[in-house]
Amino acid sequence: MQDFLELAVGAAASGCVYGLLALAYLLMIRPTGIINFAVGEWAMVAAFGGFLLLSKLEWPYPLGMAAVLGFMLLVGWATERIAVRPLVARGAPLIAPILALLGMLVIFREIVSISFPPDPHPVPYAFGIGRLDFGLLGGSYQSFFIIGVTLLVFAATWLFFERTLAGRMFEAVALHRRAAALMGINLFRVTALSFAGGAGAAGLAGLLVSPNISAHYQMGVPLAIQGFTALVIGGVGRVEGALLGGLLLAFAEQLTVRYAPIPSGFAQGVPLLFLMVFLLVRPTGLLKARA
Amino acid sequence: MSVIARWLGPVLLLSGAAFLLSDYHNDVYRKMLLWVALALGYNFLFGICGQVAFSHFAFYGIGAYSVVILLFQFHLPLPLAIVLGVVICVLVALAVAIPSTRLEGFYLALATLALAQLFVVVLNEGGALTGGTSGIANYRLPDIFGVRIRGPWFTAVIVLLVVGTYAVLWRLDRSWFGRACRAVRDNPEAAAAMGVNVARTKVIAFTLTSALAGIAGMVYAFVDNTVNPPIFGIDNAFLLLFMVIVGGAGRHAGAVIGAVLLFLLPFWLSPVVGHHHVLVFGVLVLAAILLQPRGLIGLFDFAKKPS
Amino acid sequence: MSKAILQVRNLTKRFGGLTAVSDLAFEVREGEILGMIGPNGAGKSTTFNLIAGTYSATEGEVQFSGEPVLGLPPHRIAAKGIMRTFQHNRPFGGMPVIENVMVGAHTRFTSTLWSVVAGYSRKEEIEKRRRAEELVDFVGLGDLRDADVTTLSFGQGRLLEIARALAGEPRLILFDEPAAGLTQDELDRLGGIMRGIAARGIAMLLIEHDMHFLLPLAHRVVVLNFGAKIADGLPGEIRADPAVMDAYLGGSHAAA
Repeated sequence: MQDFLELAVGAAASGCVYGLLALAYLLMIRPTGIINFAVGEWAMVAAFGGFLLLSKLEWPYPLGMAAVLGFMLLVGWATERIAVRPLVARGAPLIAPILALLGMLVIFREIVSISFPPDPHPVPYAFGIGRLDFGLLGGSYQSFFIIGVTLLVFAATWLFFERTLAGRMFEAVALHRRAAALMGINLFRVTALSFAGGAGAAGLAGLLVSPNISAHYQMGVPLAIQGFTALVIGGVGRVEGALLGGLLLAFAEQLTVRYAPIPSGFAQGVPLLFLMVFLLVRPTGLLKARA
Repeated sequence: MSVIARWLGPVLLLSGAAFLLSDYHNDVYRKMLLWVALALGYNFLFGICGQVAFSHFAFYGIGAYSVVILLFQFHLPLPLAIVLGVVICVLVALAVAIPSTRLEGFYLALATLALAQLFVVVLNEGGALTGGTSGIANYRLPDIFGVRIRGPWFTAVIVLLVVGTYAVLWRLDRSWFGRACRAVRDNPEAAAAMGVNVARTKVIAFTLTSALAGIAGMVYAFVDNTVNPPIFGIDNAFLLLFMVIVGGAGRHAGAVIGAVLLFLLPFWLSPVVGHHHVLVFGVLVLAAILLQPRGLIGLFDFAKKPS
Repeated sequence: MSKAILQVRNLTKRFGGLTAVSDLAFEVREGEILGMIGPNGAGKSTTFNLIAGTYSATEGEVQFSGEPVLGLPPHRIAAKGIMRTFQHNRPFGGMPVIENVMVGAHTRFTSTLWSVVAGYSRKEEIEKRRRAEELVDFVGLGDLRDADVTTLSFGQGRLLEIARALAGEPRLILFDEPAAGLTQDELDRLGGIMRGIAARGIAMLLIEHDMHFLLPLAHRVVVLNFGAKIADGLPGEIRADPAVMDAYLGGSHAAA
């Protein structure tokens, strides 16, 4: 039990990172139907942003974080303009923007790999290295920071969708694009916003996780798969599903590593097995969409 | 007779070329031919049947590892190893395709992405069986009827593989099955109304092209006489997709052009961009999708008859 | 009187609390053009989709030449000899006209995948292509045989749908509002083609809104309202039936 509690805070923090990545997918899939695998590369770009501003230029953390997130919104918006809007405007099949985004994925990765040497780049912790204990529960400063920020983001997103007019607009587009257009909703603006939001969420995930794993140009694809697995577990129907999926995935991963008698390398396979099993057995995810 | 004549010409021409090339160029030529074989199969799956899968290159790896393990870990005779290798590819393909083609949308893409990643994990952790991270090396192709096949003669075997793959796919494409695949790609609901069993068509196309990739992998295993996990990483699955898109999805000639171009491009580009040719690939793919969805072959058609 | 090829009995479909089709019974006879009309929401489309296999019925029985077909998936129903057209044309965009028609013949190919790979299916392929060419000519698209389907007009697309359905060598064709979106000239041509199909002994079931088009064409008419049959008879009888006039003219639609 002691053992498990020891693990809990760290696992919850990883789960939050997966949850943010799943949220990034969800923000784009719901209004457009587009699965954007470049989510992992966005996280990677933000991690390198963190390295540049926080490690190299030594900006204060809040300022650096705000600058990176602002930049990510811009990246998301630009991605949509370049690789998505021309195709949607032309009425191309849904597969076209998805493939175009795979092209963008490679472009992002290669630009970073050209611009930085291939070794891992350190990114600082938000509050330095330290440990916080609440009775039996304990974890690093960064873990608590990740959990706090993620809960804030999910609460804000939930309020946006449930309580604001703009959020309702997103929902309407998610339910029926043509009907939403007839209601006078600007589809392109919704799409642009969803991509900006997606890049913001993915960038935040990258920035938060990078102190633990360091910024590296190949960090994107594993994050993209973990985020997607979280989304598949939680289901695309509801915002809170993304967080739930992320947490379940992280706990499953950590518990397997800790207690299952398999070589540690196979632990990388756990999310993949999870993904396949969920796709095959319960493709709608755990949470049903609200009617 | 005419059938033999039709395919014999290309076989002689393509394998004859191997005898004029140096050892180094034979090696490059072999690998290019294998990419062409892979791209032809992937084009059938993605371009003609409309299935986005990331597992094609993994099946290439499954074929390569299967034949090496069966030959040199279990000491089976070559024909048996080949047959069992194909059986393994077919079984894995069915296990992935049957559940994921039942569902709409991009489930196949995700399930196969997971499969491709899982395959590399299994290779790395396979211990003595797969040779772990360093793979298996220092073996050579067993003699066939006492003859040792090497040099340009081995290249000729690869030519046979490529022409055979092309012949099979070409015939399938020009049959009720190829039309069913295109119908499933263009409009699954209308295809079903025409009597096409959509799920079955998808499963057959996936299994068949995966098995072809596996057979190509078996041949590849004796090109470098080594198999190791990094060769079969996810990057090459993307490259295959890019070859087909840039060349022109849905057209055999497009797949060939795309495979040859993207395979040779790094050789020409390396003095200019070093190892960063992948960036050029990304830009090419984006440009193809945005500007010329029919790929280079579409551009070629356009130049041939301006309208 | 020729015998029934399609018999529908007790057909019921409920969506949650809503009963879209209730206890419907009718039959289509061999070589007959049966029209099915009714105001919007009367259950015509639902009935169509139940027979075509796209929806599953809550209750009921559908027999096609004596065999039960209700609950079979669409591709099995096509294989039995029931082909269909779509109201919003659904061509296979990546193929020329002739290939589209040959997809319609899918269930009539007998060569196996192995014989295709071995190269033994050429003869059948040529034979089926010739038949498809005849059908393209029959619907009047002969000049457009090798045209890209995306270049066809809406009316031409409708004719392609018919040729494609005929290629399946059906004994019954289901038409989903075939008149919708066509000009008067195209309607005249369509009517002629349908009579030609009937002359070949193929039965047709038409779900239709346009009474001007349907009544002169149909041999018999079934009228639905609120998911139930309110009339069944010759076009002349339907025209004179007060219940039909009530249901239909209650709306904005004017009858012939």
